[in-house]
Amino acid sequence: MGRDLEKKIWLYTIGIMIIGLIALYSASFENLRVSRQVFYDQLGCAVLGLVLMYLISRVDYRHFYDFAYIFYALNVLLLFLVLVGGRHALGARRWIDIAGINFQPSEVTKIAVIFLLARYFSKRRPRFLFDVIGKLEVVFTEIIFPFLLTGLSMGLIFKQPDLGTAIVIFGIFVAMLFAGGLKARYVLGFLGTIVALVPFGWHFLKSYQKDRLLVFLNPNIDPLGAGYTVIQSKIAVGSGQIFGKGWFAGTQAQLNFLPERHTDFIFSVIGEEWGLVGALTLIYCYYQLINCGLDVAQQLKDKFAMLMAVGVVSILTLQVVINIGMVMGLFPVVGLTLPLVSYGRTSFLAFAIMIGFLLGLNKRRTVF
Amino acid sequence: MRLKIIRLITGGLFGFIVAGLFYTQVIQGEYFFRLSVNNRIRVVPMEGWRGQIKDRNGKVLADNRLSYDVMVTPQEIGDSAELFRFLGAALGVSEQSIARRYGRKKNAPFAPVVIAQDISKEDAIIIEENKYRFPSLSVQESYRRFYPLGENSAHVLGYVGKMSLAQRDRFKEYGYSMESVVGYSGVEEYYDNYLRGEEGGLQIEVNSRGQQVRLLGVRQSQKGQDVTLTIDSEVQQDALELLAERVGVVIVMDMDSGEILGMTSSPGFDPNIFVGSRDASEINQIFADPLAPAINRAITGLFPPGSVFKVIMATAGLETKKIMPGTSFVCPGFYQLRKAVFRCTHVHGTQDLIGALAHSCNVYFYNVGLLLGADTITHYARLMGLGEKTSIDLPYEREGSIPSREQRRLEGRGGWHAGDTLNLSIGQGEVQVTPLQLVRLMTMVARSGWVVQPHVIKAIGDTPVDKFVDERRIKVDEETLETVRKGLRGAVADAEGTARVIGDLPDLYVAGKTGTAQTSGGRKNHAWFAGYAKGKVRNISFCVLLEHGGSSYNAAVLTKDLLLRMQEKKIL
Repeated sequence: MGRDLEKKIWLYTIGIMIIGLIALYSASFENLRVSRQVFYDQLGCAVLGLVLMYLISRVDYRHFYDFAYIFYALNVLLLFLVLVGGRHALGARRWIDIAGINFQPSEVTKIAVIFLLARYFSKRRPRFLFDVIGKLEVVFTEIIFPFLLTGLSMGLIFKQPDLGTAIVIFGIFVAMLFAGGLKARYVLGFLGTIVALVPFGWHFLKSYQKDRLLVFLNPNIDPLGAGYTVIQSKIAVGSGQIFGKGWFAGTQAQLNFLPERHTDFIFSVIGEEWGLVGALTLIYCYYQLINCGLDVAQQLKDKFAMLMAVGVVSILTLQVVINIGMVMGLFPVVGLTLPLVSYGRTSFLAFAIMIGFLLGLNKRRTVF
Repeated sequence: MRLKIIRLITGGLFGFIVAGLFYTQVIQGEYFFRLSVNNRIRVVPMEGWRGQIKDRNGKVLADNRLSYDVMVTPQEIGDSAELFRFLGAALGVSEQSIARRYGRKKNAPFAPVVIAQDISKEDAIIIEENKYRFPSLSVQESYRRFYPLGENSAHVLGYVGKMSLAQRDRFKEYGYSMESVVGYSGVEEYYDNYLRGEEGGLQIEVNSRGQQVRLLGVRQSQKGQDVTLTIDSEVQQDALELLAERVGVVIVMDMDSGEILGMTSSPGFDPNIFVGSRDASEINQIFADPLAPAINRAITGLFPPGSVFKVIMATAGLETKKIMPGTSFVCPGFYQLRKAVFRCTHVHGTQDLIGALAHSCNVYFYNVGLLLGADTITHYARLMGLGEKTSIDLPYEREGSIPSREQRRLEGRGGWHAGDTLNLSIGQGEVQVTPLQLVRLMTMVARSGWVVQPHVIKAIGDTPVDKFVDERRIKVDEETLETVRKGLRGAVADAEGTARVIGDLPDLYVAGKTGTAQTSGGRKNHAWFAGYAKGKVRNISFCVLLEHGGSSYNAAVLTKDLLLRMQEKKIL
């Protein structure tokens, strides 16, 4: 059983990577706008990623437990540094150079948040639920305090600005809060409070983020500006129809109608060139991988390990669903990568590492 | 339990995505596919050239000539400053004006911008020789409308120009594109469908910046059909010369077929001005001229017919048996209606009908008018085609108007008085006709009531157009018309006739009615002469109008000169 699950995780991960490389090859080859280097970069990342996956899976996850808080603190520090002296690109500060390596700390934050919350929620605290003070204490220790901790990095990422990642981190928090076993009414109460506060959040959005949200509601208000990407990517995906236009035959992609088609909008290339068949194959791989992750979580007795698995699964699910949804115009455009498919070194390696966790947790399962 | 719920939520989210994908790719797939095709394919139109317009003898009235346009393709422009400097020097204009024109007309990267139109062949060669230095540069040959005879027949021909915005919207469905050249007025407009060439085009694939990626297909443009007119450019030339600086109209029609041999309106214009004019002021001048040279007075101009209207009176009187050919009235030189005095041109003394027509006696027809009453006069005027379009195959024909008691009552402009009847009897007052209506009227009289359809088209391509044979006959007694014809002949042949200046001409039988229509504002009267002539070659009906040309004598003189010239050229 355990070996089987492990094999399946490897299989679907490699499958997703291969589909991504095929799409990236088509999106970058013989094209003036996107360098061919992008493809070779990603190929290197895939190899490195698989090695990392293997290495991480050999590490005893209890070491992660020990380092969880320190790791999170270091990440918050990095996010601070990004805001102070990070590199600009596309109107946002997201990148930073450390020891000659250029990367996006916000991608690492996803891992750090999983560590933080898995450790925090796995710790059992005495609960006195019989009086009001006890209830308030639960609310504070189980919800408000961890939310403030998570919110520290969330706020810093939001400030970059990177609305997509901030939303995903919020999603991780909710998923892990729920998986942690807190009474459902507390979870629902928390969600209700957040939803009620959302309208006030409008004022904190950057003008381009407001544009994107408005454009999401009606892309045609600005067909050449903010709405352009959505309109073109919808056309790309839709025009692929059932069997697609064929590799290198996607006119939307090959003739540069799609901006950002090698990064956030890579799915539109797959949809256009491989049609519904290709898109469903990729989605099937993700779905299976996520189910494997949940299988792992279900079989784990250790709460920290289980929460780690849930964290990984929730990130994967959120990014896949939000990314594909935004490409098809079902969600507003918030810069999020398609895991293991979009071009982007930090993101790619971060996901490889997270899947490495799943494998590692799976291995340790029988120890207890 | 919690994990199961998470699994369910995850499954639901994926289901949502799959449903969205199915909707986008399968249900709306066709639609998006079309959009993606539209996204990448552009058509660059290539103008097809217009058919020629020829006169009845095959002489070309509207032709196409080769012209050279300088084009710059934006996507290959490179060093624009250098290019503009070169073009400025080559074309003798400032560099800035070329840069401005380029900036203003630039549209899509693949679409060449026209920098200069219709340059000389020498300039074209110089530019062509420098193409190797400027890959974006090209000299395109295109066909341009050209009217070799200038003003000759200008009103019949019309002119061409780029489509107006309103037309563009209206005709888009019929395959006209933004840059289509269309006919304005005259034959160019009326037969535009046949004349205009079929537009061809280049179908190209473009990328997101609109740059050409590859050529997908070419459809050659087609030449439009040639059109042959019934017009005789010789007649037109004579008419033009005889009218000279005078304002007026000359119409000559073959009365047995309805073919218009000549239709000249003066002042005229040179239609070449409208073709790719470098100077819009010339065009503006034409439209700003108070004499309205662009208007074809023969069909669009409205004038009171004056005494020519007496043909209607005579016909109506005889038909209703109110008068007989022998009925006489005494003309003392005026007619007194209660306190008002209506003048005649002379003291004619006793006049019968034929004499009254020949001498154009007003008093005679005042009497006839009062016998008939306004309603009967209106009825016969309309019966004989006044105040009604002739449906000639030219655009912008107007119908004019015949006043009537009924109309005046409907418009609430007060009652109809006997004085109005008197004015109407001699074609004055509110009655307004086009010169062409008088040609048709004279044709009816000459041909015993048979109506012909005036037209200018003879053939489209090689196919003769003969649908104009009209078998309609107005219900007027032949005896009546015979009497009228005697009166018309009297005007020419009688020693006292108003058109006696024409007199007896060898091998030519001329009859007609003069008219001097009074105008308001102290300006000179309109001079009319309308009638028909039978020569050795053919029978014609004609109408000559000199706007504010004074006495009808002038019109008769012009007619005589024209008929003699036609006879000399064996047209008549």
